Amino acid sequence: MPTLLRRAAVALVVTLMPLAWTSSVRAAGDVVIGAVFPLTGNAAQVGIDARAALETEAEIINGHHDMPMLLGAGGGLAQLGGAHVRLVFADSQNNPQTARAEAERLITQDHVAAIIGSYTSATAATISQVTERYQVPYISADNSSPSLTERGLHWIFRTSPTDVMFTGAMFEFMQAIGERTGHKAASVALIYEDSIFGSDSAAVQRKDAAAAGIRVAADIRYRANSPSLSTEVERLHAADADVLLPSSYTSDAILLMRAMHESGYAPRAIIAQDAGFVQQSFLDAVGPLAEGVMSRSAFALDATRARPAIAPVNALFHARAGKDLNDLTSRDITALQVLADAIGRAGTTQPEKLRAALAATRIDGAQTIMPWRGVAFDDKGQNSEADPVIQQIQGGTWHTVFPFAVATAAPVWNVGK
Amino acid sequence: MTPVLLLQVMALGLLTGLVYALVAAGLSLIFGLMDVVNFAHGQFLMLAMYAAFAVHAASGVGVALELPLVVLLLFVLGVATYRGLIARALGVATNRGMVQIFVTFGLGIFLTGAAQFVFGGDFRSIGDGMLANRSLILHGLHLPLAQVAAAVVCLLAFAALALISRTEFGRALAATREDREAVALIGIDRNRIFALGWGLGCAAVGVAGVMLVQFYYVSPNVGADFALIAYVTVALGGFGSLLGALVAGILIGEVEALTALLLEPSLKQVGMFAIYLAVLMLRPRGLFGRL
Repeated sequence: MPTLLRRAAVALVVTLMPLAWTSSVRAAGDVVIGAVFPLTGNAAQVGIDARAALETEAEIINGHHDMPMLLGAGGGLAQLGGAHVRLVFADSQNNPQTARAEAERLITQDHVAAIIGSYTSATAATISQVTERYQVPYISADNSSPSLTERGLHWIFRTSPTDVMFTGAMFEFMQAIGERTGHKAASVALIYEDSIFGSDSAAVQRKDAAAAGIRVAADIRYRANSPSLSTEVERLHAADADVLLPSSYTSDAILLMRAMHESGYAPRAIIAQDAGFVQQSFLDAVGPLAEGVMSRSAFALDATRARPAIAPVNALFHARAGKDLNDLTSRDITALQVLADAIGRAGTTQPEKLRAALAATRIDGAQTIMPWRGVAFDDKGQNSEADPVIQQIQGGTWHTVFPFAVATAAPVWNVGK
Repeated sequence: MTPVLLLQVMALGLLTGLVYALVAAGLSLIFGLMDVVNFAHGQFLMLAMYAAFAVHAASGVGVALELPLVVLLLFVLGVATYRGLIARALGVATNRGMVQIFVTFGLGIFLTGAAQFVFGGDFRSIGDGMLANRSLILHGLHLPLAQVAAAVVCLLAFAALALISRTEFGRALAATREDREAVALIGIDRNRIFALGWGLGCAAVGVAGVMLVQFYYVSPNVGADFALIAYVTVALGGFGSLLGALVAGILIGEVEALTALLLEPSLKQVGMFAIYLAVLMLRPRGLFGRL
């Protein structure tokens, strides 16, 4: 009998503990926002960095850091009586099914006003289905797959560019640099991972290449996270295109660069579809092999003159994460900024009103840390004013090389040499 | 496709396959000895890689120091795992099979979480090792030096395992495998043999981990992809067969490489599993299985 009693007591405590926990932390008037990112699994570091970025922006909104940007004055959301933004994180494990379940949990149990996510497009595809069903806004901070905003969903808002816009910038750059140097790219090789991100990216690249009259010399779809990419590299080597266009996450990006080096293959130009190539761990792992690699980016850390908030926001983020802002973390910060602005203008977290406020968003680029014209959503929920840039690793760090008007360094272009 | 390209791809497939084989050897040894599938095998590989990484970062000496230290560490870890967990799991009265599965599976999840806690989720790699980013060029073939070294060490490790199986301890291992009850009658301590078997199996993974981290990144989840291949390798080669693991590892390396070259890179695991299914249908005990 005593054991039974003890068990019952333990069971009671275990059941009640979460209740006590939730009620103690849910201060009156806080605006609760959910964030679904991979916090464990193969993309864990990206999610951990995203958490640091979102926490940094929440600190800016709630605290008193006086950043020269929208909501930078701090002190909470003025229209809601200084209500603080509170984040609830959920771990997608970079698995679409887990992401779906976690999004549902955030909505039904934590009653979040909106969800921000999620790094990989495959997880965003399932999260946005859940938010659509429950009629809660999903703010896509850093998913680039174009199809996400092409499915007729009403509750998705994507602040950052899609791979259509990103890839457009890559081909504009190839055209412009070709004209400037007289060495046009005649062929490209595509290598991409086999989930929605890589496949969608390659589909756009194929189309843009055809439109630009550039030959696709190799079109290689590989299995993500495979232990070796050396055969894939041999095929790239054999094709020997002018420009290599990889769409890879971090682990594959590291393998790809190493395998190319080991097989004695040095592409004349590499323009990456962001993702793995902009991670610090990629630079650390491949070191000098990354020199000259270009990538599309939504962010330019070196655009400090046009965007005065970059330096102080980066300093605040650096204190938290121990690294500089990159293309992904900067977009996470901007996503929360845009969402908080909409909640403020709506004056409530009531879903329909919040949705209307998001749809009416008009933010000038200078009020953000991004090099964009601004933030304004089209009727599909896509920010149409997010202009990408092309960056290049020169001397171990990223420099903006295109558009030429905002470039901080001249591009190194080895095609035709 | 040129003959050089085909040869190049096959050479790389062989080098990769030898690493697969060594990862599988430890798994096969433990399974053959006591019918326990170690679902934490990939995590042991990951630990070995982190350990080698840490030794490298602290000393900068290279493989010569990393190998003995990490192999010893993994041996101790293997013995400790057997004594602390497996022996207890074998002692339960009911559902022994399930308990064994859950114990090693749970250990694997714990180790992945612990690694993320201690080392963080980032990808790390030895960028400045003696072997890193260099290639041997033979008759137009580019052979990554680190992978060649890994292949040589793998072959040596297989030779060492084969030698051990000829010693008295090896015979005791074999006898325990044949009839774990009868060996007690001739004075063999079954528990001790099992513990040493676990130590040996984990030490083999330690060798693989040290050689792998010379050219591969390490992250808390790095073991999963290799472990899956190791399970297939063991089943393909035959449970408990050392030669089987070697042949099956090389076979899988080649099948993967050639599928990626001749068909579709995204289908390379399909090729591997197709071979596996074919062998299962025609010869269920595996290529060299005795059971």
